[in-house]
Amino acid sequence: MLGRIARAVPALCRSIHTQPTSTTAALDLIRSQPSHYVVANFVGRKYILTPRDLLTVPRLRDVKVGDVLTLDEIHELGSREYTLRGNPTISPARVRVQATVVEHTKGKMESIFKKKRRKGYQKTITHKQPYTRLRIGEIELPTETLS
Amino acid sequence: MASTILRSRPANGHAAFIPQIRKLVFECCDRWPSSENTRTYLFTNLPKLAANNPHVEIVVRQRIHREPIIRGFYVNNRDKVIPLNGLSLPEITQKISLLLDASGAKIKPLKRKNVVSTTEAARGFWSGLHADRPVL
Repeated sequence: MLGRIARAVPALCRSIHTQPTSTTAALDLIRSQPSHYVVANFVGRKYILTPRDLLTVPRLRDVKVGDVLTLDEIHELGSREYTLRGNPTISPARVRVQATVVEHTKGKMESIFKKKRRKGYQKTITHKQPYTRLRIGEIELPTETLS
Repeated sequence: MASTILRSRPANGHAAFIPQIRKLVFECCDRWPSSENTRTYLFTNLPKLAANNPHVEIVVRQRIHREPIIRGFYVNNRDKVIPLNGLSLPEITQKISLLLDASGAKIKPLKRKNVVSTTEAARGFWSGLHADRPVL
């Protein structure tokens, strides 16, 4: 009985967090933790991203290798124990994540075989899908400067 | 007491970006007509190509009585070779940009590899040894 209570008490303590009253307080809590992740929308799809990730998306034609892009649609920012969810996105003044274009490649050769039986129709189409790979930079949580 | 393994995982582009292509070698014949378009490209566009890509070493070599070739050498000691035989000038430009944009990595299936991560999970992971004992 006592053993069960002793084990329950730490669980209660963990759930009694002081609820942050403002976004700044919430960001301070998150900033205090060592590692973060971000749920961001990129080219119409949501990804869970951490620093040093390599993100592969279909070829972006208007971007050169070496260009640095800023992710401006961040839906969620989190750490080990805290999560900040935007409504629908978190303002880019609060969180800054950049991605560097590392390369434009193509995937492995894919072959598509088409056949209609008894009609003498068959063909093989080979293609390589082009992709762009980006490296995610650090998740920056700038401290507000007092004006 | 236990030795910590100090390790760095490669992450080109994270803090600093290093272009992966280091050298571009054009090899063509002086006389044969299969190298005609390559020769035209070299005489008209090569200085501009070199000026726009200062990180790349551009070399022109003779390859007599053979088809024209372009070789790209990369930082990971691999090279890509593309024959320019039977290509028009815009197609040659396309092959050159293919080499300039690539890293030297081998072509591998990328369809399902959206996010490749070496970072440990920020939220941690569940461990059976550190969870409450299930009560039936």
